[in-house]
Amino acid sequence: MTPSTPVDARSPDPADTSLRNAATADTGVDLPPVLSLHNVHKSFGETAIIRGVDLALREGERHAVIGPNGAGKSTLFHLISGLIRPTSGQIFLGDRPIQGLDARNINKLGLARSFQITNLFPGLSVYENLRFGVMRRHGLQYNFWKPISRYRAVAAQTEELLEELRLTRHRDTLGGELSYSEQRSLEIGMALASDPHLLLLDEPMAGMSREETEYTVGLIRELTQGRTLMIVEHDMDVVFSLSDRISVLVYGQVIATGTPDEIRANVQVQEAYLGAEVKA
Amino acid sequence: MKVSRILIILMLVFLLALPALLSTSLVNAAIQMLIAALFASAFNVLAGQGGMLSFGHSAYFGIGTFATIHAMNALGGEGLLPAPLLPVFGGLAGCALGIVAGWFSTQRSGVYFSMITLALAELLHALAPHLKGIFGGESGVSAMRMPAWGFTFGSSIEVYYLTLAWVVVSLALLYFFTRTPLGRLCLGLRENSNRLPFMGYSVHALRLSVFMISAIFSGIAGGLLALSNEAANYVIFDVNLSAQVVLNAYIGGVGAFFGPALGAAIMTFFGYAVSDLTRTWLLYQGVIFVLVMMFMPAGLFSISSWWATQRGRHAPAVLVRVLATWIVGCVLATCGFVIIVELLAHILAQDYQSLLVPGAAWPAVLLFGIQWQPGALLTWVLPAILLVVGIAVVLLGNRQWSYAQQEQAA
Repeated sequence: MTPSTPVDARSPDPADTSLRNAATADTGVDLPPVLSLHNVHKSFGETAIIRGVDLALREGERHAVIGPNGAGKSTLFHLISGLIRPTSGQIFLGDRPIQGLDARNINKLGLARSFQITNLFPGLSVYENLRFGVMRRHGLQYNFWKPISRYRAVAAQTEELLEELRLTRHRDTLGGELSYSEQRSLEIGMALASDPHLLLLDEPMAGMSREETEYTVGLIRELTQGRTLMIVEHDMDVVFSLSDRISVLVYGQVIATGTPDEIRANVQVQEAYLGAEVKA
Repeated sequence: MKVSRILIILMLVFLLALPALLSTSLVNAAIQMLIAALFASAFNVLAGQGGMLSFGHSAYFGIGTFATIHAMNALGGEGLLPAPLLPVFGGLAGCALGIVAGWFSTQRSGVYFSMITLALAELLHALAPHLKGIFGGESGVSAMRMPAWGFTFGSSIEVYYLTLAWVVVSLALLYFFTRTPLGRLCLGLRENSNRLPFMGYSVHALRLSVFMISAIFSGIAGGLLALSNEAANYVIFDVNLSAQVVLNAYIGGVGAFFGPALGAAIMTFFGYAVSDLTRTWLLYQGVIFVLVMMFMPAGLFSISSWWATQRGRHAPAVLVRVLATWIVGCVLATCGFVIIVELLAHILAQDYQSLLVPGAAWPAVLLFGIQWQPGALLTWVLPAILLVVGIAVVLLGNRQWSYAQQEQAA
C-alpha cells in the first residue's frame, strides 16, 4: 500500500484535470450528488494512502473506480462505508455529512456495501443470510416476542431476492458451502437486501472465470436498476461496458473522472494506468 | 420434526411420572438436575448461539439465588409474592446485573469478552463476603418456603413439580427465542459480527440484549435453587460454578438446543451418584470432558443428529450394530480405567500408606466387593486388559463404520 516517490509526474495538481472539473460541475446542475467527497485524506501513521480525493456521484449512475494496485480503492470504500475514519476532509451522503459516523448509521442512511473478501455468515443458510438484510428494512432487530416466520413480508421479499440472485435452489445451503461465484452473488445480495439507495461493490468479480464474470455483470445490471452504484473492479471489459462514468484513482488521488470514452481518450490516464490495455 | 415432538412429549411424561418412581434423595437430585439444565440452557444462549463464551456465569445465577432468598424473607417472612412465583425476582436480579455487566463485557468479543466476564464475576465473589447484610457472610442467608395455593411445599415432591414447571416454561421460552428476529440475529453475532454493522445493526446493542436474556434465565435458575435449598451462601459466586456450566454445556453440545440441558442433567447426576462413592470423581469428570471434546466435539447430543443424518443412508441394523460396538468398547475401557484409578487412589491414600509394615506384603484393597492384592500381577493385568480390549472394540466399531460408509459409497 506504500506509494512510491515519483508521484508528481503521474498525478498532476487536481485543478489541472479539466475532465474531472467538468464532471463535477455537471452534477451540480439538476440533481444534488448522491455521494460527494471533498478533499478527503487518510493516513496510516506516516503513510498517506488517500491524499485529497474529490468525487461526486450522480443520481442513478453506475460509477466505477479504477486504479493500479495500492491506489487506495478499497481504502476509499472503507472510508465511505464507515469501516475507517478519514484523517481529514468531508464526505456527504446526499446533503448529510457522514465522515466519522459508524458503519451501522451510514447503512441506515441508505448506503450498503459488499466486500472484496467474501464476508458472509458461513454457518447459516443462504436464506438466513439474506433475511438479515431484509429484516433490517422492516426495522426488526430487538424483537423477541414474535416469531420471524410470522412476518410474511420479510419472507416474501427474501424469496424474491433469492429468485433475483438465482440462488433459490440453494435456499437451505449453508453460506460457507456455496461455490465461490455463488458466494460472490450472495455477497452482492446481502448488500442489496437492505434496499440501499447507494450500493458500493468492492471487486464483485474478483477471482471469477470468464463465464461467471459475464453472468455476474448481467446480475449487477439487473439488480441495480433504480439505484446508484459505485464499483471497484479490475476487469477493464467489465468496467467499460458496465459504467456510466469512471474515476481513476492513482496514489490516493483522483486524476480523472469521465465517461468511458473520455477516460479512454485521456492522455494522463493512459500514461498512469491503462496504457496499452485500452489502445489494444 | 414429528419424531422430535414425540420424544419431547415422552420426556415430559417421564419427568411428570418421575417422583412416583424415586426415593426422596433421588427426587432432590432430580431437582438439582433440572436447575442445572436450565442454567446450562441459559448459558448456551450466550455461548452456543451468540458465540460469547462467558466464564463468569455464576454471578447471574448467584444473584438470582440471593434475590429470591431475600424476596422469601421479605414482609416478615411472608414473601413478596406467593412462593411459586418467587423465582421471578431471580430473573429480575439477573436482568439488572446482566445489563450492567453486559454493557461492559459485550464491548469486546472473543477472549477479551471471556476475561471481562471472569473478572466481573470474581469481583462479585470477592465483594460478597464483605457485604454481610446482603450475602450473610460465612453462614449465608436462609429462608422458608411459605405455603401457597393450597400447597405446603414441605415435601421434595412438591418442590420438584414447581421446579419442573419453571424449567419447562423457561426452556419453552428460550426455544421460542431462537425463532424470533433477535434470536436469529444472535446466530449472526456468532457467525460474523463484523458484517452486521454494514447491514445496519448495532452489534453492541444486540450483544447486550442477548447477554441480558441469558442473565435473566440464569437468574431464574438461581432462584429455583433458592426455593429448593431455602438457603444461599456467597460460595455460589465461586468460579467453580462458572466452570461447571461451561463443561456441562460443552459436554452436552452447544450446537443443539437441548444439548446443554442434556449435558447438565447427566453431569449433575454423575456428580450426585459418583461423588459419594469416590474422592476421584472430579478426575472422571475431567476425563469425560477431554474425551468428549476430542472424539465428539459437537457434544453428546450430536449422537442424535448423527442418527438423524445417517438413518437415510444406512439400514438401522447397521447403525445399531456400530453404535452398540462403540458403547460396549467404551464400557469395557471405562471399567478397566476405573479399576486402575481406584486401586491407585486407595493405595496412594494416606490412611492406606500408614497401614504398611516394612518388609511385609501390602495388604489387600477392598474394591467392588473383591479383595485386590497390590503385589499380584493379575491385579494390574486384569484392568489393563479390560482397558486395551475396550479400546480395541472401539477401534473395531470405527472399522465397521468405515466399511459401512464405503459400502454405501460403492
